Amino acid sequence: MTVRSPKRIGFGGKSFSSWDLKLSPYLYISPFFILFLIVGLFPIAYTAYISFQDWDLVRGTGTFVGFDQYATVINDPKFWTALRNSFSIFLLSTVPQLILAVFIAVLLDQNIRAKTFWRMGVLLPYVMAPVAVALIFSNMFGDQYGLVNTTLQSLGIPAIKWHSDAFASHIAIATMVNFRWTGYNTLILLAAMQAIPRDFYEAATVDGAGKVRQFFSITLPSLKPTLIFVIITSTIGGLQIFDEPRMYDQTGTGGADNQWLTITLWLYDLGWGQWNFGRAAALAWILFLIILAIGAINLFVTRGLVRDEGKKSDMSRAQMRAARRAAKEAVEASRAAASQKTEVLR
Amino acid sequence: MTTLQNPPVAAEEALLEPGRKPVRRRRPVRGSRPGWFVYAALGVVLLSAAFPFYWSLLIGSGDSYTIRDPNMSWIPGGNFIANAAKVINDPAVNFWPALWNSIFSSALIAASVVFFSTLAGWAFAKLKFRGSSWLLVFVIATMAVPTQLGVVPLYLLFSEIGWTGQIGAIIIPALVSAFGVFWMTQYIRQAVPDELIEAARVDGASSFRTFLTVGVPAARPAAAMLALFTFVTAWNNFFWPFIVLDRQNPTLPVALSLLQSNYFVDYSIVLAGVLLSTIPLLVLFVFAGKQLVSGIMQGAVKG
Amino acid sequence: MKSRALRPLGLAAGIATAAIVLAGCSTGGGEQSDPNAPVTLTIATFNDFGYTDALLQEYMDENPNVKIVHNKASTSNDARANYFQKLGKTGLADIEAIEVDWLPEVMQYSDMLAPVPTDLTDRWLDWKVKAATDADGNLIGYGTDIGPEAVCYRSDLFQAAGLPTDRAEVGKLFDGDWANYFKVGDQYVAATGKAFYDSAGGTYQGMINQVEAAYENPSDGKITATTNPEVKDIYDQVTKASATQSAHYSQWSDDWYAGLSNGDFATMLCPGWMLGVISGSAKDVTGWDIAPMFPNGGGNWGGSYLTVPANGKNVEAAQKLADWLTDPATQVKAFENAGTFPSQNEALSDSTLLDSTNEYFNNAPVGQIFSERAKAVTVTPFKGEFYFQVNDAMQKALTRVEDGTQDAKTSWDQWVSEVEAIK
Repeated sequence: MTVRSPKRIGFGGKSFSSWDLKLSPYLYISPFFILFLIVGLFPIAYTAYISFQDWDLVRGTGTFVGFDQYATVINDPKFWTALRNSFSIFLLSTVPQLILAVFIAVLLDQNIRAKTFWRMGVLLPYVMAPVAVALIFSNMFGDQYGLVNTTLQSLGIPAIKWHSDAFASHIAIATMVNFRWTGYNTLILLAAMQAIPRDFYEAATVDGAGKVRQFFSITLPSLKPTLIFVIITSTIGGLQIFDEPRMYDQTGTGGADNQWLTITLWLYDLGWGQWNFGRAAALAWILFLIILAIGAINLFVTRGLVRDEGKKSDMSRAQMRAARRAAKEAVEASRAAASQKTEVLR
Repeated sequence: MTTLQNPPVAAEEALLEPGRKPVRRRRPVRGSRPGWFVYAALGVVLLSAAFPFYWSLLIGSGDSYTIRDPNMSWIPGGNFIANAAKVINDPAVNFWPALWNSIFSSALIAASVVFFSTLAGWAFAKLKFRGSSWLLVFVIATMAVPTQLGVVPLYLLFSEIGWTGQIGAIIIPALVSAFGVFWMTQYIRQAVPDELIEAARVDGASSFRTFLTVGVPAARPAAAMLALFTFVTAWNNFFWPFIVLDRQNPTLPVALSLLQSNYFVDYSIVLAGVLLSTIPLLVLFVFAGKQLVSGIMQGAVKG
Repeated sequence: MKSRALRPLGLAAGIATAAIVLAGCSTGGGEQSDPNAPVTLTIATFNDFGYTDALLQEYMDENPNVKIVHNKASTSNDARANYFQKLGKTGLADIEAIEVDWLPEVMQYSDMLAPVPTDLTDRWLDWKVKAATDADGNLIGYGTDIGPEAVCYRSDLFQAAGLPTDRAEVGKLFDGDWANYFKVGDQYVAATGKAFYDSAGGTYQGMINQVEAAYENPSDGKITATTNPEVKDIYDQVTKASATQSAHYSQWSDDWYAGLSNGDFATMLCPGWMLGVISGSAKDVTGWDIAPMFPNGGGNWGGSYLTVPANGKNVEAAQKLADWLTDPATQVKAFENAGTFPSQNEALSDSTLLDSTNEYFNNAPVGQIFSERAKAVTVTPFKGEFYFQVNDAMQKALTRVEDGTQDAKTSWDQWVSEVEAIK
């Protein structure tokens, strides 16, 4: 292929390519933002608007009350209980889930037989319809006759009060959440892992680095953007956990003593149960601020923990030499082949 | 990694040079098949993932009493086909229109989300423009607002323009997703080597052409996963379609929920319906899974 | 490669255009002034009202210009969200069913519903009418069914405890107030060591519904629950008895369903619609029977109305249909279809109803039993806008005691502070 020089079109002296580079990014993102403005931002703005009102859903009117709704929410003891529950369930679900997801993704990244079968199999829990999930897990965690308790009792361990002990309920709900979302995060990480060039691993194996070493020195740093993504989305999703606590018992109100009432569950009850949309909206925005704060913390922690790819590498000098060697060979080969190809074409 | 001067070369051409070791391999290094431990661990994972499905099958192939039977057998009964037929033929459940509506809307939503997210993700990841970091942070921040109340303003919007009861009302709100943009941004950041972009640029490709020739192929695995996840989420979405659509023109989850409308619910039929509605998703699994290919960009830089 | 990327784009654009075109064809609906002009009426129900296609076809045969479209929601919770989301706006059906539990909220918007013509009001039981009549005296719902309660009991377990098993005798046994009911319970527990009833919450609900103004003052709507001695008295009674007599189950939980079969409790307050739940869940049990009595008078659990949104397009035609659907004769047909017990005075003396029996419950004459139970209800409890918040908090308080999370006094105190914070 002959090398072409950049096209020139008359735009006040600037070349087409530089106009193209300056303006086109905005064209790329504008379809998204235009649609987002209408269907994404409008509901958010609306929620903010009614959070300052005593809002009547049916009549569509409200009286302005300033920060009254926010104050009521914060002064309600339920808020602090719900916050405790949300954090507890968030930690119990997100941490094991991500560790497990990384582990399973590494397994799936190997050169296993029947790849599609194993890889897609882990996503099965994600597609289960909520009604089925609710049925099976309430069956499992029933206090008297649930599967888990009867198994424990047959092993001589006393039954656990899944629906009256707060921590036990958090564990049960975290199990439901992990069940559903681990496969999902696994596949996200797997897609990212697949993009890491195999040659890195080969060079490292040649230099004697074990699989574990390779994981920490090659895989994790290369995955950094995706890890950031997974941790932020898990933080956001984890603090907003709603479906699982709702399905945990038949009333869906978070327990007799609010043992598993999460913030979003309380939000739903305020809005769709008590029809107090103004208060629910205020709670939504308080949660938003909390998520922003925690998300920022998690982001900085992740950035600190995971080394950037290509920077302070843990590979020994021998490994780096080997990688450089392999890369040089590769480029020479391609150059030679390319010149040969052009010879053929001429 | 050294700067690339030439576009990727096929393995065969590299072999033309006598004596040169081919550096782009399509086959893995010999002896790298994993051991039994990997399969055993994966087996455990898969068993726990599949168990609830098996349990649903047990109930769905029984009768109305099976779910309450303390001595439920661990072998499926024989009623699954009969129960599935009841689901399909139930007059209140508009099964085939609902199935079509679900397939149509979910596919459209998935295609749209992937398209817009890849475009925007490419821009955020690889193009430099003023305000890109702030815009990206803004997009991510919007994910932090809970959506439980969103139905209220959305319904106001759609009843103003008179679109209630139309399938467009569930497609339009889902056409773009902040999650999708964030993911494609991070993935493209990581998976597309800058060298390839520079190479294409030097060859005189416009920004869009670079996107098409470099970005789109590189993003294929992530795009496939995003399409799958978006499809599944759209497929299982209940509340908004329930509020905005007619009973005559429902999506599948709304239609199937009618099987639960009695004081005494026959869960064998309900779960048979659940399993039925999962089958199209499993088909999609296979297609999407095949896109999870390693080394798409591997040879591009090295050889 | 270029075409590959553009093809999905083109496809998406084409489909989007098609969708927009399709969306443009919205359903019309003009004002109707001629009663014989063709009209399509939509009716929205949930659970099972007994309105089969055959039944609706009868109306359509009598009124050939009317086409009825029947929409069902699966659960009453979904229907409730749908109802209040759309009330006063567009999107509701011409006839919308509501449940009696929603009445406190519906009453706040009674101006948005077309009132029932006054000549029809004596069709129904007076407590049914009173519950749906607003402050201006407008009845805003056509009563459909009710849930008169009797006491379901396990005759086999009663026999083991030395208690009478014959229906009429058990009825006499329970003839009295709640103290009497709990006394029988003590007897049962002493004889068998097992629980007498399923849940404190369920029993409490039966008791509190007999109180005229339990939680709020009917004249000004203010919350009086925490200072009402009747509430405290009932709470104390129930918590004391439940220590030994309750199986501590949450109604509708998996454990509760199991308890229906395995004999963990011997009695349950049951309305007519509960019979199908018991017979379906405890298939192999033969001992369930129904006692024709309810402690301290009468009890009602559940029931529905048909409402006609005032801003609908076919209000008159809808009212005509609602009138027909809630006619005593039609309601008896619905009862035959789905077991929904009529709320109309005439229907309660209909012979088809009175002759109906239930095989599972030892051939109990259910029509007769529940008909009498319906007439035994004397109190229409006042339920204002805070009723459900207070009641839900109370149910949670009782569950805390049942679970052993708190003792009765602490739980009561927490309930009081929660109620005082309601605003």
